[in-house]
Amino acid sequence: MADLNIKNSYPVMGISIEKLKPKKVRKNIELTLWERLYIFEIIRGMHITSMHFFINLIGFVLPPKGKKRRIMTVYYPEEKLTLPAAYRGRPVLVAREDGSEKCVACGLCQKICPASAISIIAEERENGERYPSSYTLDMSRCVYCGYCEEVCPKEAIVMSAEYEGLARRNRNNLRFSKEKLLRSEKSVKDRIEYIRGIYAKCNY
Amino acid sequence: MSDSAKDLHSEYMVINMGPSHPVTHGTVKFLLTLEGETIIDMKVDIGYLHRGFEKMCENGTWEQVMPYTDRLNYVSPLINNVGYALAVEKLIGIDVPERCKYIRVIASELARISDHYTNIAASGLELGAFTAFLYFVEARELLWDLIEMLCGARVTANYVRIGGLKNDLPDGFKAKTREVFKTCRELWADVDHLLTKNRIFIDRVRNVGIMPPEDAIAWGFTGPCLRACGIPYDVRKFHPYLVYDQMDFEVPVGEKGDNFDRYLVRMEEINQSMRIVEQALENIPSGPVNVNMPEYRWQSKDDIGNRIESLIFHFKTVTEGIKPPPGEIYSAVEGANGELGFYLVSDGSGKPYKCRVRPPCFPLTAAMPKMVKGGFIADIVPTFDMINMIGGECDR
Amino acid sequence: MVADLIESVVKILFIFSVNIGFFSPILGWVERKQSALMQDRVGANRADVFGFTLIGLFHPIADAIKVLTKEDFIPEGADRLFHTIAPFISLTPAIIAFAVIPFGGQYELFGHRVNLIIADLDVGILFIFAFASLASFGAVLGGWASNNNWSFLGGLRASAQMLSYEVVMGLNIIGVIMVYGTLSLSEIGAMQVNLFNWGIFLQPIGFVLFFTCAIAENKRAPFDVAEAESELVAGYFTEYSGMKFVMFWMGEFLEIVTISGLVTTMFFGAWHLPFVSDQMLVDFFGFAGPNGASILAILVNIATFFAKVIFFIWLQMTIRWTLPRFRYDQVMRLGWKMFLPIALINIFITGLVLLAK
Repeated sequence: MADLNIKNSYPVMGISIEKLKPKKVRKNIELTLWERLYIFEIIRGMHITSMHFFINLIGFVLPPKGKKRRIMTVYYPEEKLTLPAAYRGRPVLVAREDGSEKCVACGLCQKICPASAISIIAEERENGERYPSSYTLDMSRCVYCGYCEEVCPKEAIVMSAEYEGLARRNRNNLRFSKEKLLRSEKSVKDRIEYIRGIYAKCNY
Repeated sequence: MSDSAKDLHSEYMVINMGPSHPVTHGTVKFLLTLEGETIIDMKVDIGYLHRGFEKMCENGTWEQVMPYTDRLNYVSPLINNVGYALAVEKLIGIDVPERCKYIRVIASELARISDHYTNIAASGLELGAFTAFLYFVEARELLWDLIEMLCGARVTANYVRIGGLKNDLPDGFKAKTREVFKTCRELWADVDHLLTKNRIFIDRVRNVGIMPPEDAIAWGFTGPCLRACGIPYDVRKFHPYLVYDQMDFEVPVGEKGDNFDRYLVRMEEINQSMRIVEQALENIPSGPVNVNMPEYRWQSKDDIGNRIESLIFHFKTVTEGIKPPPGEIYSAVEGANGELGFYLVSDGSGKPYKCRVRPPCFPLTAAMPKMVKGGFIADIVPTFDMINMIGGECDR
Repeated sequence: MVADLIESVVKILFIFSVNIGFFSPILGWVERKQSALMQDRVGANRADVFGFTLIGLFHPIADAIKVLTKEDFIPEGADRLFHTIAPFISLTPAIIAFAVIPFGGQYELFGHRVNLIIADLDVGILFIFAFASLASFGAVLGGWASNNNWSFLGGLRASAQMLSYEVVMGLNIIGVIMVYGTLSLSEIGAMQVNLFNWGIFLQPIGFVLFFTCAIAENKRAPFDVAEAESELVAGYFTEYSGMKFVMFWMGEFLEIVTISGLVTTMFFGAWHLPFVSDQMLVDFFGFAGPNGASILAILVNIATFFAKVIFFIWLQMTIRWTLPRFRYDQVMRLGWKMFLPIALINIFITGLVLLAK
């Protein structure tokens, strides 16, 4: 197994050792006698954790400015995290001012959904517009991937910033119908701005 | 004394370190044959997390596979995304813009850092060092905040697309990265002082789980476990992809192939990955992030709304899927555990004919009995941790 | 006669209430909160009574209610008698050992000589070791009687570990006994008025070794191989739940307090503030009359003693949450091959120094 020897194998692979830059990690890890006695490294370790302990304790009594305490824990129902603009929460349907949905029931979101969570039945209005007479999004199957928002040509379905309120006692109650999914355009305005920015022409 | 010992009836104890056991954090079953506490024999059973990834891929289109790849190695999902996208692009034969390559490198390295954090934290937890676990979990939370800022979800990222990315870097990403890395480096130093020279930790992991280099190559090891044996094989250096040949980083290499080397290699790789991310953020060029080919990549929302050709292509690619030319390809990236390979076969239709994943931790788990036989039960714990067997990847 | 009886009853009630009523629940709270602060997080703080959370101090009460209402089962095929009495055997020595630890000196109160120690035996140290050895039965019986392979492994490990570390602990104490010349804990405490007479200056190696061996005896991290959460599920108390589990836990916590009490008494000046003797304290409080002065002096001494005990409890908690755990054979090697020779060398050096004086 001579070609396992490091010096021999590099010309064969065509890569010089300077380009490969292996770095030996064991070089200065051999323990000195000082460290071989358990006690001194243990005291150093305990020093680190005690420092964390006292700094955090004082951070409770005298919090740094701008924050309530030094530790980064968020006390959930009372305090909530500020989510970034890109956050993908629950998919919602966008409603126009008169309350009807923007969706034209093209069926692209149903086709692209990797979890097959969306079912649409399309119908036509009197003035020729298509609309979904039934739009069901099964929240127990949705994986929050964001594909439906990405393929929709009408900005009719967006990933809102909601992540709460999805616990039900009956699985059927998780199949959200069109009425449960509709949100007014004003309430998802930020998200629509964001997706116009990221799916803009400059990125292609 | 020895006479009476021979007269005593003794038998080996067969015990099941089963799928639900605190140490088998990837759902794997070990059947141990013990004499006292020494392991005489060991059998490994995997498959408890098999979800039929390859069969599911055959039912959807090429783009629908992308969220499934998130769930393969679920501690570094961005690397799986990048690996799959690179494989399909190689099959089609297209090349993505420079800016996209740099951002893919940044995403891969962030995912690699988070994977190494998780692994070392889990090892610390199972060896009893609870505080080291929580320091690295705090560092991982900060990294996940960065990834959430980038693509919207912390773990199931679904960020890379075939032919580009979902979106460009957000504003303020570079400044936030600098801030996050400062805290992460402090936490790294804390865990280093807690564990690396601690004699108790070293006694647990040194000279335990040794794998000689010839056997490692015979078993199919790659990644940090192979580098710990002394062989500096890294896919990023030997078969460079994206812009890794322009990045300046070192490959940490161990000496003996035991668990301590694996730990040291991973700790050093965290530092090297941070270097790569900082270099990439310095040198990133401006430009588009997606390739402008409507038959392979969905167009912008302006185009879809206003141009009929874009709309037609959009409908065709969403309903029927993109159509790479028929053929087969194997493409590998450096995953956090080793060489993550995708072998794709296309028959010209919009659905993959075959999408096979080469999981890096499959040969590592298979080699567990060899590394552990003759040791104690307490040796299984650090060995199994340092292999970093991820159930989603090993069983798919 | 009656005064003696009242005095004993008051002391026993005091120690019981402090130990079981105060230290037991508080130590659970301390473990959660201290580990949380060390790990940059906030511990449990949600149990509230009428909306007052009081930084999580109600959690031990919630734990107690949960434990009392849990089903108490014995696994099939287990030895019923031993499964039931194992927790008792584990808990009792921890409580009884506190009977010989002095938490104050001798004072004149209402014309009666009060000695703040429940049982002033001449062989206090020997009494403690005798009872500490009994505690190992609890672990072994718990492991054996559970009819579970993993508990069995935990019980085996526990038995070997506790036996070896008792031997080494005994040898460590011989240095202290040689220096102070007595086995009685109250006399050792009384001799430590002068700061430079404290055990830690006279026997530094003995202090480090005794502390470590005591933690090993208690089966707490880094020596918790018998209970190793990740290897053996929960070791010898896998099959326990409800009140019996809590008795094992309480035994462990109370033994932490006992160890802290012992270390304070033998090495850290017992109940004395440095250079302040009991008589000086009574004279200092002379303005309150003879009884009042005694009472105030008693309170100051008890407060000092418990402050030192709390420091050692903090130290043991920090050690637990910082260090990884030993492997089983390394525990044995540490005990027999490292600590035993050092303890013998310690005795040898102490003997030489005493002879030279």
